[in-house]
Amino acid sequence: MNMLNPILARLNKMPRAALITIGLFVALGTFAPWLAPQDPSAQNLLDAGLGPSAAHWLGTDHLGRDTFSRLIIAANTSLVSVGSVLGVAMTIGILLGTIAGYHRGWVDDLLMRVVDVGLSVPSLIISLAVIGIVGPGYWTMVLALALAWWPMSGRISRAVAVSIMSKPHIEALRVLGASPWRIYFGHLLPGTIGSVMVYATADAGTAALAVATLSFLGLGIQPPTPEWGQMLVDALPYLESDPRQVLLPGFALTMAVIGFNTLGESIALNRIPKPLTRRMLAMRRAEVASWSKENSDA
Amino acid sequence: MIHFISKRLKHSLILLFMASVVCFTLVVSAPGNVAVLIAELRGAVATPGYVEQVEEEIGLNKPLLMRYVDWLGDAVRGDFGISYRTGQDVSADLANRMLVTGTLIAGSAVIATLISLALGFLGAFWPYKLPDRVSRGLALLGASTPTFFVGALMIYAFSVTFQLLPSFGFAGPKSWILPWLTIAVLPAAVLSRVVRVGLEEAMTSPFVLTAKSKGLGRTAILFREALPNITPIFVNALGTQVGLMTATAIIVEPLFAWQGVGDYFLAGVRFRDFMVVQACLLIFLTFFIVVNLVVDLAVLMTDPRIRRQWS
Repeated sequence: MNMLNPILARLNKMPRAALITIGLFVALGTFAPWLAPQDPSAQNLLDAGLGPSAAHWLGTDHLGRDTFSRLIIAANTSLVSVGSVLGVAMTIGILLGTIAGYHRGWVDDLLMRVVDVGLSVPSLIISLAVIGIVGPGYWTMVLALALAWWPMSGRISRAVAVSIMSKPHIEALRVLGASPWRIYFGHLLPGTIGSVMVYATADAGTAALAVATLSFLGLGIQPPTPEWGQMLVDALPYLESDPRQVLLPGFALTMAVIGFNTLGESIALNRIPKPLTRRMLAMRRAEVASWSKENSDA
Repeated sequence: MIHFISKRLKHSLILLFMASVVCFTLVVSAPGNVAVLIAELRGAVATPGYVEQVEEEIGLNKPLLMRYVDWLGDAVRGDFGISYRTGQDVSADLANRMLVTGTLIAGSAVIATLISLALGFLGAFWPYKLPDRVSRGLALLGASTPTFFVGALMIYAFSVTFQLLPSFGFAGPKSWILPWLTIAVLPAAVLSRVVRVGLEEAMTSPFVLTAKSKGLGRTAILFREALPNITPIFVNALGTQVGLMTATAIIVEPLFAWQGVGDYFLAGVRFRDFMVVQACLLIFLTFFIVVNLVVDLAVLMTDPRIRRQWS
């Protein structure tokens, strides 16, 4: 329990609503195959376009597939693809960023110029260009989005790497005769990964949005795998007769993105002072009260 | 000042050159033989002899550098070659589409500016009170809702439920409204935060204290002292958002069945029509570079501090 306390204290400072939303999204995504009451791809044309009932909690789509199950499985699809996109993007970004931060000089200049250009072009256009050349498919989508996403983690990891490299313990290692490999893998890389991971959660929302957007355009997740953007575009022709099938996946996606965006904003704005809310006042009082308790224990 | 402009122009030209190299390499490195594609497109059987003839004709057997120079020369004169899929002239297809996308983006930029200024001022006028919270909530909602969902909601609300506006295609001036609004939502949300935060920061400066001591009211200070101060920041952010609007246009154009550059680019990506992808990519990149240049010059015009620094 004592080990958990610092983590809990940190989580307590973040917006609670965002944490609950993200927790729900991750839990749904992880346990989706066991949570979905019905087979998400089972079609039954006789039951097509039904409203909510005991058998189908949120109704069925135009092919008679259970919307509730599809929404849950879509969380899984989204979570897995966002995870792989961010994983690939962070690997590229951290590797290039730390190399730039370690080496400095012209390597640094060149890589940061590339990062600048990559950040100034919208990620959708970069990923669409990659898909246009390689051809559509699941792994093309992951690769394309990762190529559009790595500049962000590249820039952050370069900044972190530069600050680590200027710390006294690196200098001490140099004096002791540590090899560049030991400094890089033993001290620079582990230190950078931790800090960059925190910022990556802030990116997860936009990454989920990008996956959904590509699927909406028919170039990401292919049917019959359920995905929110693709469910929405599937139901769009039936907007007039059955708007529920368009609105539900849209709201689910929006909720997830709002959760990640709020969390990202609170991470980015962590050090900017703002007026106290009642909750924060109560927390502060509780903390002050615990100080006196500590003293009396001693 | 002239020094700054010439330096900035040189910078843009280098960027343009890099963009053209990227577009060229993308297509050159694409898998598959282009000559075979074209030969099949013309309805002929792609015999080795015919393929060689096609290669000769479009200059594929020349050295890479020569091909780049040829291609760049054509592109500068506005000739982007022919589409591999339809066999039509890419430039002829693009001319009309650029007008459509340009009007879409320009209209949305105006709407986004108006909405964001209104929301931002609302928040700055009553900071941390109800209007500020509402404006902040709207900004979060606008920045987080997927553009295609915003479009679907607009169609559902204005075309299906109230039947006020046409949902797709071009039918009179009314049909501009929904695409404009859909594209404007995201930039309006982001820019309203820029206005709000910029105004708050400006309101803590010493010149505001001076204005207060002169007896000016909050409204007068906000409009006469703080607004000119945030103009450079706002112009800068607006430029970024206008660049991002090209990406939004790619989503919105097919949603409303509009024939713009975004829709053309998407079709090119879908059918792996490299010439179309290349041409659209070059247009998008040129657009970003030009917008950035214009923004830098506009900031120079609106910010006396920078102007003085460079004169």
